[in-house]
Amino acid sequence: MTTSDTPAARTEGVWKIFQQEAESVQAVRGVSLTIERGEFTALAGPSGSGKTTLLNLIGGLTRPTRGQVWVAGHEVSSMSSQQVARLRLREVGFVFQAYNLLPVLTALENAEFPMLLQGVDVAERHARVRELFQRTGMEGLEDRRPGKLSGGQQQRVAVLRAVASRPALVLADEPTANLDSATSEALLDVMAELNRDLGVTFVFATHDGRVMERCRRLVRMVDGAVGEDERRT
Amino acid sequence: MIFPILVRLALRNLRRYLRRTVLTASAMMVGGAFLVWSMTIDRGSHEQWVDSGVRLGSGHVTVERPEYRLRRRIEDRLTADVSRAAERALASPEIAPHVVATSAKLDVNGLASSAAGARPAQIVGVDPVAEADFGALDDEVIEGRYLEPGDRLGAYVGVDLARSLELDIGSRFVVQAQDAQGEISGQLLRVVGIFRSRVPAIDQGTIHILRETAGEWLGSGGDVTNVAILLEGSSATAEVASRMERALSEPVARGEARVLGWREANPVLADAIAIDEFGNYVIQGFLFVIIAFGIVNTVLMSVLHRQREFGVLRAQGLTPGQTGTLVLIEGLTLSAVSGLVGVGLGLLGTWYFFGDGLDASVFMQGMDELTVSGAAIDPIIVPIFGVRLIVQIVVFILAIGALASVYPALRAARVDVTEAMKFDR
Repeated sequence: MTTSDTPAARTEGVWKIFQQEAESVQAVRGVSLTIERGEFTALAGPSGSGKTTLLNLIGGLTRPTRGQVWVAGHEVSSMSSQQVARLRLREVGFVFQAYNLLPVLTALENAEFPMLLQGVDVAERHARVRELFQRTGMEGLEDRRPGKLSGGQQQRVAVLRAVASRPALVLADEPTANLDSATSEALLDVMAELNRDLGVTFVFATHDGRVMERCRRLVRMVDGAVGEDERRT
Repeated sequence: MIFPILVRLALRNLRRYLRRTVLTASAMMVGGAFLVWSMTIDRGSHEQWVDSGVRLGSGHVTVERPEYRLRRRIEDRLTADVSRAAERALASPEIAPHVVATSAKLDVNGLASSAAGARPAQIVGVDPVAEADFGALDDEVIEGRYLEPGDRLGAYVGVDLARSLELDIGSRFVVQAQDAQGEISGQLLRVVGIFRSRVPAIDQGTIHILRETAGEWLGSGGDVTNVAILLEGSSATAEVASRMERALSEPVARGEARVLGWREANPVLADAIAIDEFGNYVIQGFLFVIIAFGIVNTVLMSVLHRQREFGVLRAQGLTPGQTGTLVLIEGLTLSAVSGLVGVGLGLLGTWYFFGDGLDASVFMQGMDELTVSGAAIDPIIVPIFGVRLIVQIVVFILAIGALASVYPALRAARVDVTEAMKFDR
């Protein structure tokens, strides 16, 4: 069931164990976590703490070894690849460290791409994307290819791509890692504004102090498990 | 509909690696053009082989008694009823439009003798007017002339036979063969013309005489041993043979006649063509295996360079199948566009440079004549273009493109999203 009361995402006793030759690595160990709609949450921790793996588990990019994952009320672990792909298309937006825009599409086409896949009609796609470009100070850059945009601008387009289709949650993996301080702050402003004004749920995997400072919930990961879950007002 | 989106992405990806795309497309274009050139020339060459072969006697389609081909004897001739039924069928609107010429012959094995000696001979009674349209021997005169109506005792003799019997124009000689009553019967003839077909078996043993003369001599009246039908092209053989068989179903059922296509009537020629076609297909196959590797290389390199991109597409919601389809579209588009351009260039080039024929005589140095299965072949090969052939070539190119794109498409479809996102490129 999917309602506005349904959490954006939930994990229940989730484990992820990777086999590396003879050794098995427990990247995520029995994590139970609920992400409510409208949250602005950071999964923080040092490298190897399991934050990116947990993000991938929530986004259906990888399957749990044990435990269950729900996204917008849908249990992901038992779904087929096609079903997970369709769920991602409807309910999950991604922002990656390396921007990862499609180089053959313009900024506007990149931002509208998930909506294009969803079959949203062109007028609505353009209206939504242009409004977001305007809101985030990207107006005038719509027709540029990624190669003609700065790193900060590319990451903004990536954020717009993640939010434009109005997913249940946006998963951002180290979104500021490749940006300088000023650009990082500006990007975080954009995401905070989208969260505040449009209610977009953001979950970050980060070890950037600036991101952690801005989040209203901070989940500290230690050795694949949740060490501390701090909520701020 | 996701398909148009995939097509748009595929086209832009091809444009993105323009140099690589153009290089691979060029190989495909050259391959497509070569295929058109080679197949139209082959088709023209084989049609010429068939034409030369069928004009020697049996036509594209022939009607004869089942035993005739084995023994070539006068008692194995067609009955008058069968000949009339064949004539009616040939005049029917289903068959007549395909027919260029027909030749009803009384063709037997016998002995030709003169003061200089005796030689075995194939004595063919013909209607000289019909034979002039049907066969090629009338054009091969080296002395005298071809038979004309009214040449009651006239004989048109192969050059080597004439030499061995020391015959000249006007010389008299005798032919003997078994007649309709089973007796050995002789006929005096006078040479009106000598021909050189450049096919030794024919030059050493063939004599044309009037069919009426042969009928009187052998006591078979107006009967013939076979009715040979020359068609507008070999492609109509199966259809005409089948219609003739239907029209002659009763005598065929009684064992009084059978209808043969040129492949059955001339299996050596059919085999020669099949062997030549096989050789050509092997060469064309090798060429396209090389081209296919080029396409695999281009598309696969593109896939391997875009692991992260495929990861992004999958993260955005593309299914593995859709991701593979994107790559398949890229490969197919590359093959289709370059293949079609190649086919177009091939058609244009073949028509422009070889439309009047390719002179293959340069490959025949030291040879008097090129013969295939006893038929002399004209060294000028005129290519034959046909919609069906072109469609076959295009389908073949598309199939190669599709096959070559399958592996890269599978690689793209099976990409591990989380691993792909780590891919540093």
